[in-house]
Amino acid sequence: MARFLTKRLAGAFIVLVLVSLMSFAIIWLVPGDPTAAFLDTSATPEQVARLRHELGLDQPLIIQMLDWYGRILHGDLGQSILLKRSVTAALLERLPVTLSLTSVALTLALLIGVSAGIVAAVNHNRWPDQVVMTAALFGLSVPDFWLGIMLILLLAVQFDVFPTGGYVPLGEDPLGWLESIVMPAITLAVIQVGFIARMTRASMLEVLSQDFIRTADAKGLTRTDIMLRHGLPNALVPVLTVAGIVAGSLLGGAVIIEQVFSIPGVGRLIIGGILSRDYPVIQGGLLFLAVIYLGVNLAVDILYAAIDPRVRLE
Amino acid sequence: MKRWKGFGVAALGAALLLAIPGAALAQTKGGNVVIGIVQAPPSLDAHVTTAQAARNITLQIYETLYARDKNAKPVPELAEGVKISEDGKTYAFAIRQGVKFHNGKELAANDVVASIERYRKVGASAALLNAIDTVQATGPREVTITLKDVQSTFLDNLSSPRAPIAIYPAEEAAKPANQINYIGTGPFRFVEYKPDSHVKIERFDGYVPNPNAEGRDGLAGKKEVYLDSVTFRFMPEAGSRNAALEAGEVQLLETVDGPTAKRLQNDKNYVVYKVLPFAFQVIKFNHAQPPTSDVNFRLAVQAALDMEEVMAISYPDIYQMDGAWLYPGAAFYTTDNTGKYNEADLSAAKALLAKSGYKGEKLTFIVDNLRANTDTATVVQQRLKEIGIDVELSVADWPTVSKIGFTPTGWNFWAHGYGIEPYEGPASVMAPWVGGTSQQKKDETIDRLYADLTASMEEGKRKQIFADFQKHMYDNAVAMKAGNYGLFQVASAKLKNFEPSRIPRMWDVWLEQN
Repeated sequence: MARFLTKRLAGAFIVLVLVSLMSFAIIWLVPGDPTAAFLDTSATPEQVARLRHELGLDQPLIIQMLDWYGRILHGDLGQSILLKRSVTAALLERLPVTLSLTSVALTLALLIGVSAGIVAAVNHNRWPDQVVMTAALFGLSVPDFWLGIMLILLLAVQFDVFPTGGYVPLGEDPLGWLESIVMPAITLAVIQVGFIARMTRASMLEVLSQDFIRTADAKGLTRTDIMLRHGLPNALVPVLTVAGIVAGSLLGGAVIIEQVFSIPGVGRLIIGGILSRDYPVIQGGLLFLAVIYLGVNLAVDILYAAIDPRVRLE
Repeated sequence: MKRWKGFGVAALGAALLLAIPGAALAQTKGGNVVIGIVQAPPSLDAHVTTAQAARNITLQIYETLYARDKNAKPVPELAEGVKISEDGKTYAFAIRQGVKFHNGKELAANDVVASIERYRKVGASAALLNAIDTVQATGPREVTITLKDVQSTFLDNLSSPRAPIAIYPAEEAAKPANQINYIGTGPFRFVEYKPDSHVKIERFDGYVPNPNAEGRDGLAGKKEVYLDSVTFRFMPEAGSRNAALEAGEVQLLETVDGPTAKRLQNDKNYVVYKVLPFAFQVIKFNHAQPPTSDVNFRLAVQAALDMEEVMAISYPDIYQMDGAWLYPGAAFYTTDNTGKYNEADLSAAKALLAKSGYKGEKLTFIVDNLRANTDTATVVQQRLKEIGIDVELSVADWPTVSKIGFTPTGWNFWAHGYGIEPYEGPASVMAPWVGGTSQQKKDETIDRLYADLTASMEEGKRKQIFADFQKHMYDNAVAMKAGNYGLFQVASAKLKNFEPSRIPRMWDVWLEQN
């Protein structure tokens, strides 16, 4: 297990180095610079040059890169050019918002997706299977920003059940938090429900055709017992891996959903950073998301190895 | 019977309304208004940013020595007035008595001095105050500013809303950029700023309206606040903003698209306002790059374009055909020398093109991804095709385009709006062309006209200089103005006495309670 863990950690470190390099490369890969966000079209070249100097953008790229690595090794993601404050503080301030959105979405996606997958597998090639698979296909195909707007029009404007957007912190008003998070979380979860339902169905079908299931059947176990005690635990092993991937996709998807529902999360911070070329925010935000993504995947790998000895042996 | 009873009550109400003059417009104190805005302000330190999103909020919190009236003319705001010396270099401002900051402190001359000195150091448009030599408190309520040279636009500059020269308490003005407490003298005081969510301000009960002014007058005037609070909610997605208005969560949208405005204008629950003009649509030429460096080529393009077509497609239902380089109603506005505007004459264009050095090469039109700007570029591209000019569009986001557009290579045409410059006045309209900043090649005529305009204190002479500038712009096709465009604002019908303006003013409006 220790060898497995070391290998995984070394892999994660290499990925982090690559992500940090790519984050830094944004400065010269993407044209434009932050001066456009501060100065208007009447700005004189002297004003632009002065601002570039103040922001350190006139330094040679190699100096900027050394500065960037020097800072991240000290855990400092730099100062946001536009917000004039620490990127780490700005990210940490928004993290609970994004985490509450993605965790509710992940819970919804797993609950609905796994249940739907089981229903489909148990009723293989019968109408419930077809209904679940059609719904899953719809979930996979529908663009999330469109679905978000449709839900707002229906549930907020027409029926006045939820607010159209915004975010209420959990500690401030739990009911308000729930009301503000339900629609965005459903929107975010829909694609993943389709994905998880299809994976669970396929995995269940594979497990249900195994010899040990036939043996359990021959022993005279009830159908429910076979499904829940023997079928599902085995079918869920690949679904665990999928959950890791889904958690990452949800973090990515949250960027769009936070825009649509005006939620002040990490995604909106990064989008704002991109539009204004606030390099420290883009670089820090990407690195931050990469660390979370890697952390989730590492946890899934370890969990996977813990419940499936074959993985460790490999 | 019930119906008649209702009628009786209504009749009694109507009789009462008639008996009390002005009661029909009775102002109601109280209520919280939420405004849906597109972008978050980069900062609420008014000095350090020129962003529209920031000034829309900061101008409710802070005030300036002089402010713009409804015709964009500078008038006293925190000052009683000014005495200008005969040589035009010394300005003595008397400061209004009894003005209170939001922290309870009374405004004094040293606050004004400290704020102006700070702006000269950290101001986003510090060049506005470049002419200043010294700023001194010459009395407890008198500030004297001496200029290095005569600058006719000094009061215009001092009252510019671009990055407002807001007056802060001296102790705040001593702090670096973005590190102040948001304390001003305005009718609203700052409550909270939740990043990526909202800014909330509330009525400042200690506000002393300008006793020398009468009623609402642009960004100046006598400001009365009826609302308890105003929240600016940042909502980047247009569909969500519209939905929030229709769900009653938001009472005012600072901008909506044309189709939404059309849909809502027949609904009695909303009032659609037009802010027109809001900006010029301008098509710029790169004078440093052939063939746009060739005056005959530029004149050919100017002659060919049908500006009505450009405006009608780019800004349907919200445009004005106007060739003048100022907004109608501005003091120096004139349509003199605009004869070459919107000629739409293809044969004249072809003749001019033949005189130019254009050989059929592909030219680059850079444009940002704002729908109206790409529409303008597309219309120009198709029109120029008719006279044999091959134009390729290069669309990117604003930071990318503006980076390329201020370099001498990589582009021939660039279209975007100019909003605040024409509002500020003639000097600001001319400034982008001074030193060749916008056209990438120095134009001595413009540089000379600009210097003359700022150095002359005689209004008649300055008007003539601006008319000459306008002539030069058309005779040389320095750049082309397509027309004026506006924007739609939509408010809940319960928001009373709201008047559209380029900066939504939340004083003198009230919320109908029911």
